[in-house]
Amino acid sequence: MAATTEALNISAAPAGRSLWQDAFSRLLYNRTAVASGVVLGVIVLASIVVPWISPYNYYTPEWALLNTSPTLHGGHIFGTDDLGRDLLVRVMWGCRVSLLIGMVASIVSVVIGVLWGAAAGFVGGRVDAFMMRIVDILYSVPFIPFVIVLVVMFGRNLFLIFVAIGAVSWLDIARIVRGQTLSLRNKEFIEAARASGVRGPAIVTRHLVPNLMGIVIIYATLTVPSVILFEAFLSFLGLGVQAPMTSLGVLVSDGASELQSYPYLLFIPALFLASIVYCLNYIGDGLRDVLDPKER
Amino acid sequence: MLRYTISRLLGAIPTILVIITLAFLLLHAAPGGPFDSQKKIPPEIKQNIERKYHLDEPLYKQYLRYLVGILRGDFGPSYQYRDTTVNEIIRQGFPIDIVIGGCALVGALLIGLPIGIMAALRRDTGWDHLPMGLSMIGISVPVFVVAPILILVFAVNFHWLPAGGWGTGSLKNVILPAAALAAPYIAYVARLMRGSMVEVLNSPFILMARAKGVPRYLLILRHAMKPALMPLVSFLGPAVVGVITGSIVIETIFGLPGIGRAFVDGALNRDYTLVLGVTILYGVLIVVFNLLADLSYSVLDPRVRY
Amino acid sequence: MRFWNGASKALPKRMREQDRGRDPQRRWCFAALFAIPVCLVACSSQQQPFVSARAIQVSSDLASEQVLNRHLGADPRTLDPTLATDVVSQRVLDDLFEGLVTLSEDGQTVPGVALNWDTSSDGKTWTFHLRKDARWSNGKPVTADDFVYAWRREVDPATGSEYAQALTPIENAMDVAAGKAPPARLGVESAGPGTLIVHLHAPTPYLLALLTNAYLDPIYEPAVKQWGDGWTQPGHMVSNGAYQLSGRVINSRITLEKNPYYWDANRVRVTQVNYYPVTDINGATDQYLAGNLDFTDSVSTSDKDRLQQTLGSQVVFAPYFGTAMFGYNLEKPPFQGNPKLRLALNIALDRDILVKYVNRGIGIPAYNIMPPLTGYDPAVPDWANISPDARHALARKLYQEAGYSDLHPLEVVLTYPSGGAEVRRFMEALSAMWQMNLGAKVQIYNVEWKVFLQDVQLKEPVFYWAAWIGDFPDPFTFMQLFQTGFGMNYGDYHNPQFDALVDQASSINDAATRFKLFHQADAILNEDAPLLPAYFYESGHLIKPYVKGWQSNITDRNLSRYMYILAHQES
Repeated sequence: MAATTEALNISAAPAGRSLWQDAFSRLLYNRTAVASGVVLGVIVLASIVVPWISPYNYYTPEWALLNTSPTLHGGHIFGTDDLGRDLLVRVMWGCRVSLLIGMVASIVSVVIGVLWGAAAGFVGGRVDAFMMRIVDILYSVPFIPFVIVLVVMFGRNLFLIFVAIGAVSWLDIARIVRGQTLSLRNKEFIEAARASGVRGPAIVTRHLVPNLMGIVIIYATLTVPSVILFEAFLSFLGLGVQAPMTSLGVLVSDGASELQSYPYLLFIPALFLASIVYCLNYIGDGLRDVLDPKER
Repeated sequence: MLRYTISRLLGAIPTILVIITLAFLLLHAAPGGPFDSQKKIPPEIKQNIERKYHLDEPLYKQYLRYLVGILRGDFGPSYQYRDTTVNEIIRQGFPIDIVIGGCALVGALLIGLPIGIMAALRRDTGWDHLPMGLSMIGISVPVFVVAPILILVFAVNFHWLPAGGWGTGSLKNVILPAAALAAPYIAYVARLMRGSMVEVLNSPFILMARAKGVPRYLLILRHAMKPALMPLVSFLGPAVVGVITGSIVIETIFGLPGIGRAFVDGALNRDYTLVLGVTILYGVLIVVFNLLADLSYSVLDPRVRY
Repeated sequence: MRFWNGASKALPKRMREQDRGRDPQRRWCFAALFAIPVCLVACSSQQQPFVSARAIQVSSDLASEQVLNRHLGADPRTLDPTLATDVVSQRVLDDLFEGLVTLSEDGQTVPGVALNWDTSSDGKTWTFHLRKDARWSNGKPVTADDFVYAWRREVDPATGSEYAQALTPIENAMDVAAGKAPPARLGVESAGPGTLIVHLHAPTPYLLALLTNAYLDPIYEPAVKQWGDGWTQPGHMVSNGAYQLSGRVINSRITLEKNPYYWDANRVRVTQVNYYPVTDINGATDQYLAGNLDFTDSVSTSDKDRLQQTLGSQVVFAPYFGTAMFGYNLEKPPFQGNPKLRLALNIALDRDILVKYVNRGIGIPAYNIMPPLTGYDPAVPDWANISPDARHALARKLYQEAGYSDLHPLEVVLTYPSGGAEVRRFMEALSAMWQMNLGAKVQIYNVEWKVFLQDVQLKEPVFYWAAWIGDFPDPFTFMQLFQTGFGMNYGDYHNPQFDALVDQASSINDAATRFKLFHQADAILNEDAPLLPAYFYESGHLIKPYVKGWQSNITDRNLSRYMYILAHQES
């Protein structure tokens, strides 16, 4: 008997896998997403390492070398800018700043937007109406005076950029999430959760949100490029990184004004910006695929 | 649904009032006034100007005076363009933005919807990657890069289209700005459509319809489209308003006398009345279009009830 | 789930193990997508200009259609001469209205509505004799009363005009503006329809130059009475210049037609002038290349080399009466009581490098406040002409004497108003130069324009952008900026010797003597260094080769009435 029991011995319960671990391992099968992740990783790594190891910095002009084209021989692989500064190093610093601002601001706006929209859609009725009226109001308030007042009141603070961007970009996500919640809340699995006694907030966070994540991730990846360019406009209002420090948005808009004379000044930062956008979007698609409960 | 619409419209009035109040306070809180210039004006002269435009009155009085004006339909004089009124500027500029924005959105939908649907249907094939990849150029390349390139190619090089300006509002003045404006929206529409279509096609009810033998095209058009459109409609509500109230970048590059540029210039020049006027217009449009989007939910997804 | 396996490709594939990563179509899609940008970058590495301009053949005959298309950098704020303050409004008003005096083709002050004038012996009374054939665009004659009405309107508090203080030299002007006297007390009167008498507080040598400005143009009173604020609209406006207003769309286009009643209408060849406000300089350049504009208002600095290459003499640069400079706040550390530090910063700047490389050769290095002016001998400091190495050594010496060193560097914030990429580039170059030449850490901060104005007027920034364009071609307009008590003396510079020199010079009529006195005042500013002059402005225009009748001048005002279009063909 004992032998049989031992033969039948069921080994210790297999270690459970959380939703995220499961998702991640399946993500690895998605070649596009993996390739994008690698490219993005390379860009992030380069943006950290290249300024360290490069003999050039981002702020010292070189009068003899203004606007030299990219060349494979010699020191400046990406050429130099209007003040003779190495474009590679400046683009790398720009990637650092833009990636940081883009990701953090997007995450902040996603968190606020999802919670707000899901709560409004789920609770419904007067609360929903009130919450969405606040969204309408925030859409309409002119943001230039708002940013100017922010800068005047709180001084020049990098943190303010997140406030300024976050205050504007969570609104769209909230609307989309609310719309999705309105359809989802009538579905059976929500009723089932309610029937088993799960309380309101838990229903929202544990049942609704994972089902919304697909669309939210896709929309969030779509907003990253506009956040990066928006930051360039905010720096015009005095917010954000100060010259000579730069960001991809600033590099791209400066390059655009010199499109006809020195096109590489635009195309190289734009190439990095586009790569980041494409990578994030493909990763977003991959995440959407793995997080969709219906695909398992 | 009628009751819902009426209650939303009634709720619009306090919403707009709050918008006006907030905008008014923010504008006056920003340092500098419309008549501050580099050549400093002696205090007596400054007083004269302020008296003429009632800027020397206490804030609440200016606010009330403005509200009374609104009720009469008078949005006030413009402080930066001293020869004209806000009504006139909006009257001249708004139709231009509507035309260009409308064409851009229609174009974006005509191109983006089919791309997104095709991409969702033929997921992970060439029909997915190539069109989606190309459409994403619209958001990864900023408008202020696309627009000058379009001008360079079509206007300066080939002389097929004018390099800018509104002229008499004929088609040739609309094409390039609308195309530049549409580019990012094609990407938004295509990606949102693809994403939500993929989700819907995985749903049980599609499975069931397929099991019942519903032909493919009917499946897509009648069963899958409606719920798939919902996120797109949520996005379109504010997007439509944003597009028809003008893009400062497009208007600046193409030299169009729209209200987008007037609005940004107004904010930077502290033209209080102009900014408030455009803000009110924007607020009304937001309320209306968000309401339309919300009402369409119940059309697209019958389970949604108000 | 078996029936999915054979399902047509119309429905989505599940992510089964065996299906992943197998699609060859996908691979070449990616390859294509990546190839495009790489090609773009490779192509853009050759520095070919994208577009070459079409060649234009110009004949020596007049074109049959005399229509001129001009560019404005912004939309005019107003077309009411009394209220006009900005350069852009002035440009259009130069064509619409004419004052007592006007500008010739080369920028000299010449008779306008006034044929000639006499001055009293004490210089305080001027009598202007108006020409008999000066007419408004409705045929009515221009009389002295039109000037009296306009000038009273300028100082009348009810008008709310911003430049009323420009009339300060005229008796009682400021009292009227302050509300202490009625407008009728202004020191101007008409002695008959053809005679205008002006009473001044003191001899004002620059009065004629002042009179060329729009705010001293005559105004047709019945139009204002009838239409009120709307009198400046096409169809309502009555003007006395070479042109009248026939159309206006805000931010789009302003159309002027020839005024048939203008006294010199016979010699006005251009029959229609279209002004197009285009704020984006690259957009304006594109419009010029596309043939929509004949005369642009500015030239893009970054494109300058390429444009000169392809357009040659169509790119016109000329000195402009303005100085790009920076102000020091003399009542706050670190510049308070530390002239050596200020001088060190002044001397350490390599202005020729700034102008030649950063500004692409546009501008003239400035070592003093006064831009070039005919007949004026600028006070150039000695250190301007020594070798760069000697100059850097001198700057470093002063820097150390001021109490700073590499171990204890100067840390200061330079505030400037937000502008385009060119402004930012210039400020970055400055900051880098001081870092390289002195070891000083000058952090640059940009502030939105109105906030900047407010901050400067409240005297908050310690080191700030302070460019100045002269109001009229006379040194006084620059020197008065540093007089004690002047409203725009934000740095609180106070030097009684300087004040005395300027006061003395501004009341002497003889140009040569005045200029000598101003020269001495100029030299004092160089020693005390309450400001840091960087460069003198140059105006830039793109002008089609078939547009003639213009000459560059330091006020950069080219009246359309002198211009004409030659017959031409584009190939």
